Amino acid sequence: MSETWRNRLLLAVALGLAAVYLFPLYWMVVTSLKSGSAMFATPPSFWPSEPQWQTYAYVWQSRDVGRYLWNSLVIALGAVALVTLLGTGCAYVLARYRNVWIDIGLFLILMLQVLPASLMVTPIFVGFSQFGLLATPRLAVILAIAAKAMPFFVVLVRSTFMSVPAELEEAGLVDGNSRLGAFLFIVLPLARNGILVSAILIFMQAFGEFVYSKSMIQAAELQPASVGLNSFMGPNTNEWNNIMAFAAMYVGPILALFVLLQRRIVSGLTSGALK
Amino acid sequence: MTAQIELTEVNKHYGAYHALKNINLSIAKGSFVALVGPSGCGKSTLLRSLAGLEKITAGRLTIAGDEMTSVPPRKRDIAMVFQSYALYPHMTVEENLVYPLRMRGVSKTEARARAQDVAGFTGLSGLLTRYPRQLSGGQRQRVAMGRAVIRSPKAFLFDEPLSNLDAALRVSMRKEIRALHDRLGATSVYVTHDQIEAMTMADHVVVMKDGVIEQQGAPLTLYDRPENRFVAGFIGSPAMNFVAAHGIDSASIALDLPGRPQIAVSRHGEAPLKAGQAVVAGLRPEHLRIVEGEGAGQTGIGRFTLPVRLIESTGSLTYLSLGETGEIALVEHGREQLRPGDRLTLSIDPALVHLFDPQTGRRV
Repeated sequence: MSETWRNRLLLAVALGLAAVYLFPLYWMVVTSLKSGSAMFATPPSFWPSEPQWQTYAYVWQSRDVGRYLWNSLVIALGAVALVTLLGTGCAYVLARYRNVWIDIGLFLILMLQVLPASLMVTPIFVGFSQFGLLATPRLAVILAIAAKAMPFFVVLVRSTFMSVPAELEEAGLVDGNSRLGAFLFIVLPLARNGILVSAILIFMQAFGEFVYSKSMIQAAELQPASVGLNSFMGPNTNEWNNIMAFAAMYVGPILALFVLLQRRIVSGLTSGALK
Repeated sequence: MTAQIELTEVNKHYGAYHALKNINLSIAKGSFVALVGPSGCGKSTLLRSLAGLEKITAGRLTIAGDEMTSVPPRKRDIAMVFQSYALYPHMTVEENLVYPLRMRGVSKTEARARAQDVAGFTGLSGLLTRYPRQLSGGQRQRVAMGRAVIRSPKAFLFDEPLSNLDAALRVSMRKEIRALHDRLGATSVYVTHDQIEAMTMADHVVVMKDGVIEQQGAPLTLYDRPENRFVAGFIGSPAMNFVAAHGIDSASIALDLPGRPQIAVSRHGEAPLKAGQAVVAGLRPEHLRIVEGEGAGQTGIGRFTLPVRLIESTGSLTYLSLGETGEIALVEHGREQLRPGDRLTLSIDPALVHLFDPQTGRRV
């Protein structure tokens, strides 16, 4: 088989897989635009004959989607801010020093990554209620998500810092910086891309977080969109178009963010952010 | 001459590893000092200790008379050129140049004027708005130099700055660095593993090995009178030939070569040789003379004959490898009509024979 034919075949396979992968997304949007009867028609139509755009306005109003999205945003931004602030310093130290204690620390951090949220939620819940943190449930969720996302962030950003040559920092010291100054003015700008990419990945993760939010936030007006979407669905739900409209409004912003920053994210993850 | 940098009994340990052993070194104001030695000899550690990037574990360091032993780098008022140049990749050439000034509170306008000035004499004038990644190796080297000279530090430290350049550029940058040093009247400490760089650039060469200073002095002193076998072999290119020998009387030795040839040696105040004393004779390749015409082919007093193994000619110089295994090197000006297997008769000026103790390696 010639080179071109193999490339075409691989392209076809790739497109097929992408179609399979993206089909649920397509089905979400199509369903949200269908009317009640079109939704349950057999065979199902793959394109709504009469798009019901008013579904979106109706769901936005009746389910208070704006409030849910706002809560998701607060939680995601809070978690990202906390992780970035604490994780950057931690990753830097782990990148610059080499000894047994650092290796042990790194191992423990990776171990934290292994524990699933559904396992951690009970001890965290008990601990937080002892500290009275459940009185501010969104803060509690921010803390829990930050703890969960921290290892991932530290490991990614550590490798970014390791790609910044130590000689640059030493040059900074000789040129008149303090240790902190060299970190802030030389190392940090060079690691910016890696930190940004890791922060965006954590933002998207936190924006969709469900387990901690569901178990710690009882008040509906403080719940994020993931929990709001879940409470929309009961055992006898049949308003799938409304649910899909909610879902579309929920994933829309994340999807847009990813598409906009896609190139940057990929290059930041693969190149180590320097040059 | 006053000492600009003074090291007294400096030691550096990395855990159990003893990297610098009792270093005593005085660097005169305005001098160009080269630290030279094989890799792992401690020369870079010593330089980094001067900069404050390494903490010395014992001993004392003063710069311009001020105690600097445990002062952080930014307060030492020294400038350093790194092997990788360490240019800040996120800054333009101009920003790189003014950075040390801005860090010391020099105003933006004054710093920019100084940058223009430095760019002028380092040949960077048209490149100020470029980023380091847009420059060639030689240009990056100049930026690194410019960043060092833009303020007038108490000393310049160079850490193998030319090792990433190609051979031709290295030779021209060598001259430029030395010219810059003279122009600024600065004190420079230059680390290199290349003895030619050290010999050609420095006023004072410090040869190190295993964390110890083996010998220091003017470049030609090191060449003419190496204190031990290591320095003798390290300084000079191609490297000195070492031949086992033993004393015949106070002024001649027998070389451990076929025919046991005897050559005269002259003594300059060293202890007289004893008959039968084992020594190692050091014969520089460029000091061996080929005897032609009368007396050629004879081995005897002052002469020895060796077969030719390999002939390498660069046009101006001819490198010969002599002896059964080609162990004796010889350099001749001009060209030789020779073939492998030819036998050559050699002689050497008694004043140019170096003798070392076979055990301690010290000059005898």
